[in-house]
Amino acid sequence: MKILVVDDFSTMRRIIKNLLRDLGFNNTVEADDGLTALPILQAGGIDFLVTDWNMPGMQGIDLLKAVRADEKLAKLPVLMVTAETKREQIMTAAQAGVSGYVVKPFTAATLKEKIDKIFERIDAQ
Amino acid sequence: MEATDKALQLDAARALVSALESDDIEETQQQLMILTSGHESELFNEVGKLTRELHDSMANFQLDSRLVDLTNNDMPNTRDRLNYVISTTEEAATKTLGFIEDTLPLTSELKQSADDIEQSWHRFRMKEMNADEFRALSKEIETYLPLVKAHSDQIHANLSDMMLAQGFQDLTGQVIQQVISLVEEVETNLVELVKIAGNRNEDRQTNNNVVDPIKAEGPQINAENNDNVLNNQDEVDDLLSSLGF
Repeated sequence: MKILVVDDFSTMRRIIKNLLRDLGFNNTVEADDGLTALPILQAGGIDFLVTDWNMPGMQGIDLLKAVRADEKLAKLPVLMVTAETKREQIMTAAQAGVSGYVVKPFTAATLKEKIDKIFERIDAQ
Repeated sequence: MEATDKALQLDAARALVSALESDDIEETQQQLMILTSGHESELFNEVGKLTRELHDSMANFQLDSRLVDLTNNDMPNTRDRLNYVISTTEEAATKTLGFIEDTLPLTSELKQSADDIEQSWHRFRMKEMNADEFRALSKEIETYLPLVKAHSDQIHANLSDMMLAQGFQDLTGQVIQQVISLVEEVETNLVELVKIAGNRNEDRQTNNNVVDPIKAEGPQINAENNDNVLNNQDEVDDLLSSLGF
């Protein structure tokens, strides 16, 4: 299981990477916005995407839309981890096909719960 | 009033104003004499109005100069201060994360060794262990105890360093306080400026730009007072499940 973590702040990427390692996911790669993330995703081999929303260059919501629009990536589970909490934003993310939505600041338990839920849904399919 | 009279007196009024501006008392008095000799109250009113306007614009100029000062000096200074907050907090976070990442493997190693020894110890207590295995166990315990001591010392040192790394809060707190006072001062000055300009621009409406409803805004500061903003993970989960998630 290879996970791509996208956030413009390196400290947040490190926190997420450490939490993922605690959950047993040791294989993570990083990108600092949608523009750098997309080529990594298109190169293949990524099984799970964790992305922030508010980033320079390409924002997380646009990255999500780009992923869903790409035939090869359309089914990739995408977990959004963000401080954006406006009603319209969450509805937009849901319509765009986000797999889970975690609000910053978050706890290790919340992250685990959302990831577990995503995999449960994939397994049920 | 005769046209020539009016022209003369207007000249005198202008001369009076420029005399006032250049603090020329003698000239001021002379021009006043010329004006009063005409006994034209209309002109007096005009001069009075000009003087008042001069006074007002002088007073406003003081306000403007503070704003100019704020723009030229305090604003760039504030940018530096806020950049300092960013770099200081980032440095503290990076340091703390570094100490955490150094500490986690130490605790994992202690736990792993303790697990191994516990299992062997259990077999020993159940008398399932032969002499060779027991010698191996004794050796394991002998290396484990100094390891516990060394790792505990290192963990203690790392925790102390993490504590020290939190010292940024004091520094950034002070800097942010200064920025808040500056913002308050700018606000007060701008409100005054708007009041002065407001009389002439009452009919001009405030800018009602259409805001993109999903524009990224970062953390919401006064979420409780905004119905359009969700306050926590539970509210987000509720909204998503209401959408069929």
